[in-house]
Amino acid sequence: MENVATDENWKTSFSQLAPGLVLFARQWARSAADAEDIVQEAFVRFWRKQHDIRNRGLLYATVRSIALDFLRRDSRRARREMAAVSDVDQAIPPAFEIDDDSQRALVAAIELLPSEQREVLTLKIWNELTFAEIASALGISQNTAASRYRYALAALKKNLPSA
Amino acid sequence: MNDFSELENQLRKLRPVQPSPDLVMRIEGALAEPESPILTAGMLARERRFHFNWLSLGVGLAAATALVMLVFLRLQQPAKKNAVVAGRTPAPAISTNPNAEFVPAALTQVVYHTRDEGLRFPGNSNQPMRRVRSQTRETLQWRNPKTGASLRISYPSEEVSLVPATGQ
Repeated sequence: MENVATDENWKTSFSQLAPGLVLFARQWARSAADAEDIVQEAFVRFWRKQHDIRNRGLLYATVRSIALDFLRRDSRRARREMAAVSDVDQAIPPAFEIDDDSQRALVAAIELLPSEQREVLTLKIWNELTFAEIASALGISQNTAASRYRYALAALKKNLPSA
Repeated sequence: MNDFSELENQLRKLRPVQPSPDLVMRIEGALAEPESPILTAGMLARERRFHFNWLSLGVGLAAATALVMLVFLRLQQPAKKNAVVAGRTPAPAISTNPNAEFVPAALTQVVYHTRDEGLRFPGNSNQPMRRVRSQTRETLQWRNPKTGASLRISYPSEEVSLVPATGQ
C-alpha cells in the first residue's frame, strides 16, 4: 500500500483502497449498493477537501461518519437499522469471495464478532491500517484498538477449532 | 501475537468482494460536478460549524455586555452630562433633533431566587449578620414622548446583602 500513499492520481489510489473501503462501509450498510454510495460520498468529500491521501485515518473516519449519517438519514429506516446495529448478530456481514468451506467457516465466525471488534479487524487485516491509524479513524486510543484486535483474534480462534 | 499468526494469514487470504466497476465512474462524475451544499454538511464541515457557533455566542455576549454597560453609564450621569453640554454649547445638537430624545420610563426588578447563606461576622464585629444572595432580573425602559418609540433592556443581576440578625 506504500504507493497508494504517494500517488497523486485519485483513480489509482482509489482502486487500491476501494475493496477495503467498501468492506468497511458494509458494516453499517444494508447492501453492497448502499456501502458503495457511502464510500463514494466519503471519497468525494475527502478528495475535494484536498486532504493528504496518506492520512488514511481521516479517510476511514469520514467513511464511518457518513455511514452513521446514512443510517440516521431516513427516520423509518434509521429505526430498523439502529436496531440492527445494536444487535451485532444481525449486522450486515463483511462480503468476501469465498473459495472453500474453511473460508466459509471463517466468515461465519467473523459475523459473530461484536461490531467494535469487527471494525478494528476489518481496518487491520483488509485495509492494512496501523493501530495509530485505526485509533484515529475510530476515535479511540491505540491501546484500545490493539486490545480489540487481540480480542477479535481470540474470539475467532475460539470459534474455529481448526485454527 | 505469535499464537495468532496462522489465523491472521488465513484472514488475509480472504479477499473482499470487488466494488462494482461503475463506482469509479460515479466518483469521477461527482468530482466533476460543482460542490453542492449537501456535500459540505458532513463530518469536517460540522466541526467548522461548531466553532462558528461558539464564536457567535462569544461575540453576542460581548455585545450584550457592552450595551448594558453603556446604558448604565448613561443612566448614572444624565444630569452632569446635560449641564456640561448646556454650558458649552448654547444650541445643542439634541435640540435640532427632538425625535432622538429618550427618557427613562420604567425600571422593574424581579427577584426570582433568594438564598440565605448563613450568619457572618463582618469586620470582626460582634453583631451577627445574615448574608442573603438574591438573583434578580432588571428591566429598564425608555420612551420617546414625541414619537412614542420605546427601548427596553433586560439583564440578570446578582446581589449579596448583609441583614442584621435578630435575636430569637
